[in-house]
Amino acid sequence: MSEDVTISRKLKKAAQLLLFQHHRLPGAKGWELRKVLGKDYMKVIKLLERRLEELGLEIKIVYEDGLDHQTPTDEDLDQARFYVICKSPLQIGEASLSGWRIDTLAVLAAALAYITSKQGRATRREVEDLLREKFPDWKVDQDLNRFIRRGYLDEDEEGNLYIGWRTRAEIDRKTLVSIIAGSSPQPQQP
Amino acid sequence: MPQWKLLDELLMDAEALKELSLMVKLQSDWVKRRASGLFIDPFLVEVKIKLLGKEALASALLAAWRPLIAAEQLTPKRLSEALEYWRVLLPLSQRMKELEAAQFPEEKTLSVSELIKLKFLSERAFNEEVRKLQEELAEASEGGPVDYWKFVMRETYEETLLRAYALSFIISNGYANLIINPVEETILIETAGKQVQRKGGKSVPISINYEKWMAMRNLKNRTEGIKNE
Repeated sequence: MSEDVTISRKLKKAAQLLLFQHHRLPGAKGWELRKVLGKDYMKVIKLLERRLEELGLEIKIVYEDGLDHQTPTDEDLDQARFYVICKSPLQIGEASLSGWRIDTLAVLAAALAYITSKQGRATRREVEDLLREKFPDWKVDQDLNRFIRRGYLDEDEEGNLYIGWRTRAEIDRKTLVSIIAGSSPQPQQP
Repeated sequence: MPQWKLLDELLMDAEALKELSLMVKLQSDWVKRRASGLFIDPFLVEVKIKLLGKEALASALLAAWRPLIAAEQLTPKRLSEALEYWRVLLPLSQRMKELEAAQFPEEKTLSVSELIKLKFLSERAFNEEVRKLQEELAEASEGGPVDYWKFVMRETYEETLLRAYALSFIISNGYANLIINPVEETILIETAGKQVQRKGGKSVPISINYEKWMAMRNLKNRTEGIKNE
């Protein structure tokens, strides 16, 4: 009985750590989870994940190097960040729940696919030139700044754009680039 | 190994093995990155992005997007810390006195490239503004030099500053000249026609603080009011 109480308390604590934002970024680092939940924190995380599955959610682990780790070490897990994300992608009808217009989503898709194809880094000028073929200057500028603020993109002092922390957590770039690369263009309107 | 005769040979072979194993590890990391599926021809992706419509791009993103779930929270402890902070915080009037007593930081000038980096200015928008102002100046100075203040003054302080800044760019690059009459205290500008390469030259500071702008605007409004009467 006391073990059940302990596990229940740890599950609540894990849920609080992952669901409530208490730093600049949401989620929690592995070492924070280990500190609060103990060295078997991964078992607690797995249990929590099973509960979250019923709500259509899952726990995403983003490692510091940005790569997938099939057999992560304790050190890898310590430095990784754990997030709660939706288990399945948004449907077209649910897109309005994001609060973003379809053209903003298109700008984000194009920017992320392009930067990903350039191995995760491109100059802001290159990205702007690509986007300006379809969108006005003011919108490109406004949207890129918005994505940087939200964490989808990062920009350094030299005007290079990178994949941001939020993209690593939320977006399956392999799927995105595969869909774009494999799709057929729409027929031109007469 | 049976041919090892000296310790040195053993050490050299061990060193070579170590370097080889390091190279294999680096190659393995490289293959892992490439095989992660994110390596794809950038040219192909660029062409596809240009050919696809907004809806197709948005759909692709939605298919790959699983939003993060996070909530902000306010705890009783944090509220109590905030109340304690409120209790010890000095009234604004007292804090303002302390600020005024403090030494003002040294003024600093920012270049256009720094403003662009700080995102106060868009490079394209600024270049467009300079080009339009140059055309306006050429048109205005067809009959001779124009008064500097009449040319830059506008209804808002921000617009006046932007025009003055863009004009300084035009003059510095040799597309226009300043004619200063210290006796009559007038400043005129004339277009140079084609770009003049300046050798040496000197800086001419023209102060446009808010009080001065307000005074000039009020004078202009009074003058226009008298003309209309």
